[in-house]
Amino acid sequence: MLSEVLLVSAPGKVILHGEHAVVHGKVALAVALNLRTFLRLQPHSTGKVGLNLPNIGIKQAWDVASLQLLDTSFLEQGDITALTPEQVEKLKEVAGCPEDCANDHKWLAVLAFLFLYLSICRKQRWTEEDLELINKWAFQGERVIHGNPSGVDNTVSTWGGALRYQQGKISSLKRPPALKILLTNTKVPRSTKALVAGVRNRLLKFPEIVAPVLTSIEAISLECERVLAEMASAPTPGHYLVLEELIDMNQHHLNALGVGHASLDQLCQVTTAHGLHSKLTGGGGGGCGITLLRPDLQRLEVEAAKQALTGCGFDCWETSIGAPGVSVHAATSLDAPILQALDGI
Amino acid sequence: MGRANVALAVALNLRTFLRLQPHSTGKVGLNLPNIGIKQAWDVASLQLLDTSFLEQGDITALTPEQVEKLKEVAGCPEDCANDHKWLAVLAFLFLYLSICRKQRALPSLDVTVWSELPPGAGLGSSAAYSVCLAAAFLAACEEIPNPLKDGEPTSRWTEEDLELINKWAFQGERVIHGNPSGVDNTVSTWGGALRYQQGKISSLKRPPALKILLTNTKVPRSTKALVAGVRNRLLKFPEIVAPVLTSIEAISLECERVLAEMASAPTPGHYLVLEELIDMNQHHLNALGVGHASLDQLCQVTTAHGLHSKLTGGGGGGCGITLLRPDLQRLEVEAAKQALTGCGFDCWETSIGAPGVSVHAATSLDAPILQALDGI
Repeated sequence: MLSEVLLVSAPGKVILHGEHAVVHGKVALAVALNLRTFLRLQPHSTGKVGLNLPNIGIKQAWDVASLQLLDTSFLEQGDITALTPEQVEKLKEVAGCPEDCANDHKWLAVLAFLFLYLSICRKQRWTEEDLELINKWAFQGERVIHGNPSGVDNTVSTWGGALRYQQGKISSLKRPPALKILLTNTKVPRSTKALVAGVRNRLLKFPEIVAPVLTSIEAISLECERVLAEMASAPTPGHYLVLEELIDMNQHHLNALGVGHASLDQLCQVTTAHGLHSKLTGGGGGGCGITLLRPDLQRLEVEAAKQALTGCGFDCWETSIGAPGVSVHAATSLDAPILQALDGI
Repeated sequence: MGRANVALAVALNLRTFLRLQPHSTGKVGLNLPNIGIKQAWDVASLQLLDTSFLEQGDITALTPEQVEKLKEVAGCPEDCANDHKWLAVLAFLFLYLSICRKQRALPSLDVTVWSELPPGAGLGSSAAYSVCLAAAFLAACEEIPNPLKDGEPTSRWTEEDLELINKWAFQGERVIHGNPSGVDNTVSTWGGALRYQQGKISSLKRPPALKILLTNTKVPRSTKALVAGVRNRLLKFPEIVAPVLTSIEAISLECERVLAEMASAPTPGHYLVLEELIDMNQHHLNALGVGHASLDQLCQVTTAHGLHSKLTGGGGGGCGITLLRPDLQRLEVEAAKQALTGCGFDCWETSIGAPGVSVHAATSLDAPILQALDGI
């Protein structure tokens, strides 16, 4: 067990192309988003293990001695699905969860923390092999929170870059270029489950109309993959123009599938007015959109677009995709705001 | 269109009206108040022309010299092929001379044509014009009967007569457009709705009349350039674009199916499906790259009033159609129209699946139309 402070971060993810179509067996491209989650692990000798999640107001601590006394043999497999209901209840009891905590994501975060802490640290460093191990455990954490996740999110957060996902198979794209984007959150809530069901219903109702749209979306994902591969060696302005055309066509297809929303239309209009190209990412019906920022853009143009988007009441971040995966940081290399956030300021 | 894809064309109830007045002044006159044309020719001079070149009644059989002769007779200036006003005059003379030449003597008459249709907007105004001319000349020369009986406000011709009208109307279209598809004159002759695929035209049986808003964004565009743009996108991204065309064809076929069901018993559910088809097709047309900010605005405005719209024709501006369900309140429709005109668009409330070429009793026409034909 190391005794120094550890600082790690891992990126989020966005779907570049293929949302909704992926549910129907088509390819999707998931890319690491350079809005990162930072973790500081501070070993000490207080005899306590503490979890501090300032974003969601969680601050819990457990007695290491009490945890040590637990019969953790049920964690032998390290496979969350091998736990019996009684064992899950035990974990919840240890966490200090109230009755109905499965619906409260704060408590799921605590459960995932405890599960991984107890499972990994009871046995008492990043190569591909190390990443495989990290990802395997991260997937278990995801299962605590989501029940039956696809594994795409943890895989792209572990490896970074871009990966292709189809019918359960995940494979990384080699050395994709980092693309600058605006990530905009319309903050319009929606049910991804309902949106996915809506697409399924439309497909059942008009199979000859909708099936070709899914086929076209897949072709967009494949073309995007091809262009990203070309860009890895030598990106040209022409490549960015193609990426923008693909974004536009995919957005029209997602509208045709019925997962658009007035807020997303507004997002697209605003960025179009600034000569930029956007598409929803993920479920649609509100939620987030991504806007490609070509390298030749002036700083003023980008700022103007961001202002216009925030002026609509949206949240807007300037970031990049194809970001590095899970990483370790030296404290001195992190920006002050991040260190302050980790200090709970 | 292009590959093996289907298109549905529907008759629009914005009509072109023609009044033919025979007299004995020895002149044949053409009056087109919409485009400021007022010409007259001496029948005697026209009679002296060697019109043997019109033997076939096939405009494509004319040699360039013969076309020049026709232009000379019309009084066209040098560069008249690019001016649609002169094309209207040429079409008139061509049909007059071709159809009426069988008479012992060319008839003296005045023709006035007035249209509710704006020209150049892809709404078939030239075809409606050609259909009116063909029907009027054929009836005046008694090649087809006048089907209007005493006391009837309006009447239509038999299938056989419509075939003859359409054949001549197509010739008129060729004078104006060079190489038209024939869809415009066919739908103007027969009315209703027809399906068009790879040059084959067939009528849909008894389609229901659907109320619509027809909106002209008045944004000019080149249909030729838009068609080329789609072709280029297809060549550039065949695997992406070809399925979109397939999906659009499936939308046309589904629409045809729904219209056929509606002919017997229309339900609110049918209208909801028509609206879904409109929405999906509009997104596909945007994906093909023939959208435009003005059309997006049109769609947004109608969406805000709970209505569904799509571009019609070339896109890139031009016109859009908005379906009006029968259950709509008058106030809702008026509000939508106002919102559209407020954007600077022209907006008509009309219907599609309209009757084809028809004869009217003067007393049955609305005063504004009669006044327009009187040149007021």
